[in-house]
Amino acid sequence: MREIVTIQVGNYANFIGSHFWNFQDELLGLAEIPESDQVFKNHSLDMDVLYRTGETQQGLLTYTPRMVSVNFQGSLGSVSSRGSLYYQIPAKHLDVMAWKGRVTTHASEPLKRNLFLQSLNEEEQESVSKANDLDNLNNNSQAEIQDKDIVECLESDVQYWTDFSKVHYHPQSLYELSGLWTDIQDFDNYGLGKEAFCGHQHGEEIDDRLRFFIEECDHIQGIQCVVDDSGGFSGVSAMFLESIADEYPNVPVLLYNARNPSLHMDSKGRKQVISRNLHDAVSFSRLSELCKLIIPVGLPSLSGSRASQYLCIKDEKPYHSSAVYASAMHSFSLPFRMKQPGPSAESICTSGALDMYGMVKMLTGQMRQNMVAILDVAMPTPSLSVDRAQQSFLGNLQPLIPDIAEDVEDFHAVEAMNIHGAVTSGNRRASISEVKDAVEAAYDNSVTQRPKFSHLSASTCPLPIPLPFPLIFGNMVGQHGELLETPISGSPSRGSLEVHSIPMATRLRSSTAVLPFLESKLGNLRRFGIERGALGAPLLQSWGFGKDEVEDMGEVLSKMVTTLKPHLEYSSDSD
Amino acid sequence: MSVKVLNPNAEVLNKSAALHMNINAAKGLQDVLKTNLGPKGTIKMLVGGAGDIKLTKDGNTLLKEMQIQNPTAIMIARTAVAQDDASGDGTTSTVLFIGELMKQSERCIDEGMHPRVLVDGFEIAKRATLQFLEKFKTPVVMGDEPDQEILKMVARTTLRTKLYESLADQLTDIVANAVLCIRKPEEAIDLFMVEIMHMRHKFDVDTRLVEGLVLDHGSRHPDMKRRAENCYIMTCNVSLEYEKSEVNAGFFYSNAEQREAMVVAERRSVDERVQKIIDLKNKVCSGSDKNFVVINQKGIDPPSLDLLAREGIIALRRAKRRNMERLVLACGGEAVNSVDDLTPECLGWAGLVYEHVLGEEKYTFVENVKNPHSCTILIKGPNDHTIAQIKDAVRDGLRAVKNTIEDEAVILGAGAFEVAARQYLINDVKKTVKGRAQLGVEAFANALLVIPKTLAENSGLDTQDVIIALTGEHDEGNIVGLNQHTGEPIDPQMEGIFDNYAVKRQIVNSGPVIASQLLLVDEVIRAGRNMRKPT
Repeated sequence: MREIVTIQVGNYANFIGSHFWNFQDELLGLAEIPESDQVFKNHSLDMDVLYRTGETQQGLLTYTPRMVSVNFQGSLGSVSSRGSLYYQIPAKHLDVMAWKGRVTTHASEPLKRNLFLQSLNEEEQESVSKANDLDNLNNNSQAEIQDKDIVECLESDVQYWTDFSKVHYHPQSLYELSGLWTDIQDFDNYGLGKEAFCGHQHGEEIDDRLRFFIEECDHIQGIQCVVDDSGGFSGVSAMFLESIADEYPNVPVLLYNARNPSLHMDSKGRKQVISRNLHDAVSFSRLSELCKLIIPVGLPSLSGSRASQYLCIKDEKPYHSSAVYASAMHSFSLPFRMKQPGPSAESICTSGALDMYGMVKMLTGQMRQNMVAILDVAMPTPSLSVDRAQQSFLGNLQPLIPDIAEDVEDFHAVEAMNIHGAVTSGNRRASISEVKDAVEAAYDNSVTQRPKFSHLSASTCPLPIPLPFPLIFGNMVGQHGELLETPISGSPSRGSLEVHSIPMATRLRSSTAVLPFLESKLGNLRRFGIERGALGAPLLQSWGFGKDEVEDMGEVLSKMVTTLKPHLEYSSDSD
Repeated sequence: MSVKVLNPNAEVLNKSAALHMNINAAKGLQDVLKTNLGPKGTIKMLVGGAGDIKLTKDGNTLLKEMQIQNPTAIMIARTAVAQDDASGDGTTSTVLFIGELMKQSERCIDEGMHPRVLVDGFEIAKRATLQFLEKFKTPVVMGDEPDQEILKMVARTTLRTKLYESLADQLTDIVANAVLCIRKPEEAIDLFMVEIMHMRHKFDVDTRLVEGLVLDHGSRHPDMKRRAENCYIMTCNVSLEYEKSEVNAGFFYSNAEQREAMVVAERRSVDERVQKIIDLKNKVCSGSDKNFVVINQKGIDPPSLDLLAREGIIALRRAKRRNMERLVLACGGEAVNSVDDLTPECLGWAGLVYEHVLGEEKYTFVENVKNPHSCTILIKGPNDHTIAQIKDAVRDGLRAVKNTIEDEAVILGAGAFEVAARQYLINDVKKTVKGRAQLGVEAFANALLVIPKTLAENSGLDTQDVIIALTGEHDEGNIVGLNQHTGEPIDPQMEGIFDNYAVKRQIVNSGPVIASQLLLVDEVIRAGRNMRKPT
């Protein structure tokens, strides 16, 4: 087994993480329930890659994500930072042991748990007390009503990422940055983040948390980081990644830097636009230096993009958009934990297992050391049956970042595709070989040029939709994620009660199509930061960057661009 | 006003409103922290929205837990926290002093005095006070053998403000001994060489000093010994796991056999490294009952652990970076970065190494070392908030001892310095100042009294009586502090109440700077949010 440690830095990153772990929890749960679908029972996925087994002081066994989350103080809502597995929340009037003098209590108003968390709590109480069967039957009929209420309640109000999380975390997992004394809106630049990481020994404590998880790993395959791409948390992440690179130089780091679409909505005024663009360039350049593969995601308007053609998303809700990014993340990371039956034997449930090192090595290639991957997603994936394929199955894979060139000729493109739970004609689950054939056929029929190398991994296990998943499916999506001929009448958006699982396809591409994206970052940095008399120069200074540093960052970006630019001397040299 | 034109939403507070906003913010923060001060202060239990509990009497911890919104309050808080970073204590005092300076200023300004004049007075008074501090301090000769008594008295003074007496006294010895353990002549004291480890286990009185090191992890092999005596300790930073080559190393293979061969070669080189360690072990341990422990900063994978376990070697992986340094200081030897040229000289020594398991948490004790220059304070307590509280106190105690050694001086505590300085300013300095700046000096002098006043208030005494009694004694030439039980003047020297020179100096220095800055603000402009509305 090869372990992965997950890191989540920032508020939006934790929203994504919360969805991500909900999927994992759902998979774990479905594998245990007798009445669940066969594909969930033997999914051939090794959950131990992401999870650790532990034991409380009372001797209870635990199974928790191997994860470190960094966020603001107070961002955990009604959930305790130590979780509830290892500690009981003590009674209100406990004795103060180490002080004999007076005690004053300053209690903040206990945050009310929403319906979902209440129901989770109740479930746990029930399973502990093992109420008799009759009661359970009664509850079941009640539960049905409740589920609906829960979904509605989440839809109308999600404030914290913990509001919709059904996973128990290890007490070492959740770290809050205290003593920042700023609002989340004011924690908006790299410099502040850097300071926050260095101050109050936060950095050391966070490193220690990570070390706790890594020490347990017999053979770590890599670290996957989900980080906020904007605001102060990009600074925090960069500092964190720097110390990781220092401490674990041979562990591959895969960076998933995400952007909340609601951030794009409130940019007013030229000054803010400059500041945003400059900050984007700066944080992208810094973060990319510190990892092996960077996967930027974050469309300015997810709802209006073609990636969400079967979904109805409200951009202003991080709860919605993060669900899409989390699904994509779950999908492309599946090959990391597919069980390998042996070199020759083919499993009937999975194929194309690949560890993080292999993935990184493949995409960042030797020919061209491009470390930026484009993430395309088809959510849900349409049927693979032939008539669909002609209508371009590949066309449904749409990028999750802006500024991606379409139809570029790139003879060195490399891609890793993952399809899981795909359906074929008659809404039947496609077998692994059918998936392979369909992809092959799709490439043959495709007008766009075939990449130089393509890795396909497939699994029969679709993406399970857990109860706290938002109502984001459009009325064309059926119960198993199949696309319907005629829209379902009634409510326009459907959620976990109507849709139980969906087929997913994702593709990581290393291609020149990413050039416009990189060039716009480079252009912004040059225009606002480097050029003589640039408008953003004082801004950069206030973020704590010297002139040299800014030029270095420009260098990093322009190097990324030039590796991708097919220039003439290079090709003549290689001949 | 141009700003208004630029941003119609910007809100402007005029001179007097701005001043009062600053004064109120300072007073507000002072009120929050006031009850903390001194051994009779109140401990605060903070219960979070999710039911998390924090117990603290430490101004620094409290400030960090607070959600401060007001910009003035944030400025004061930052100063106070910086105070703690620089000298390890005095957060509460700084906040109180700034608050009191603002309060005294308010009175003068209301009577029509210009802030500028006040600030001039502050500056004069500050310089005079710092000079006075030099005269007032009690020098302590450190030399090769520091006076343990004085170190303990300083530590006790700090600890007793954070923990109940008998626990404070127990920790006093621990803290003083810890600092003396890591102290090296002619070198600055690095408090990081004292590891602070905690276990949620037993009671607060089980906290102890381990002369050696406690690591928060154990061996990862079922066959390794859990306890060993007479151990050679090898501290290393060598990867003992099979790793693939660097991602961008540009290492190519063209077929499966080559790939296989590379994997085999990689594995063999790891095994060779392990074998070198085993060879060294056989060299030093063969034929004796001695044991061998490897503590590695990098990883050790199961095959390597297996090899080592078969040889009876205990191996720990992924040790904290700082522990590499500490281990060498505690056990001797040196940290090796490569297994080539291993010699017995690079090994350290510990009399006892054993593992303690609490649920999934493992602790490895490396004890009975010769001449330790690093040690561990092992904090125990039944719950997290007790542990956190003791930890805060231990940190402060360590800093206090370190400061004393570095300052080679201490200051009489229990408010003695503040009263003495105030009398000096009023009786001597004020006369030499011309004009209205006198009032600034007087305000500063009275602000100093906030410390004894608050001490008295927290002890339930009448502040007026106490101040009169104390100033009276001082005017007669007796340097006295406040007895918190009776309210009578006492001699701090006799009672062994000493504060840090560095801390006091820092407070006197930074307080007036911030207060002056706040007083000279004549306009507050803020875009976006309404300042007058309570948030």
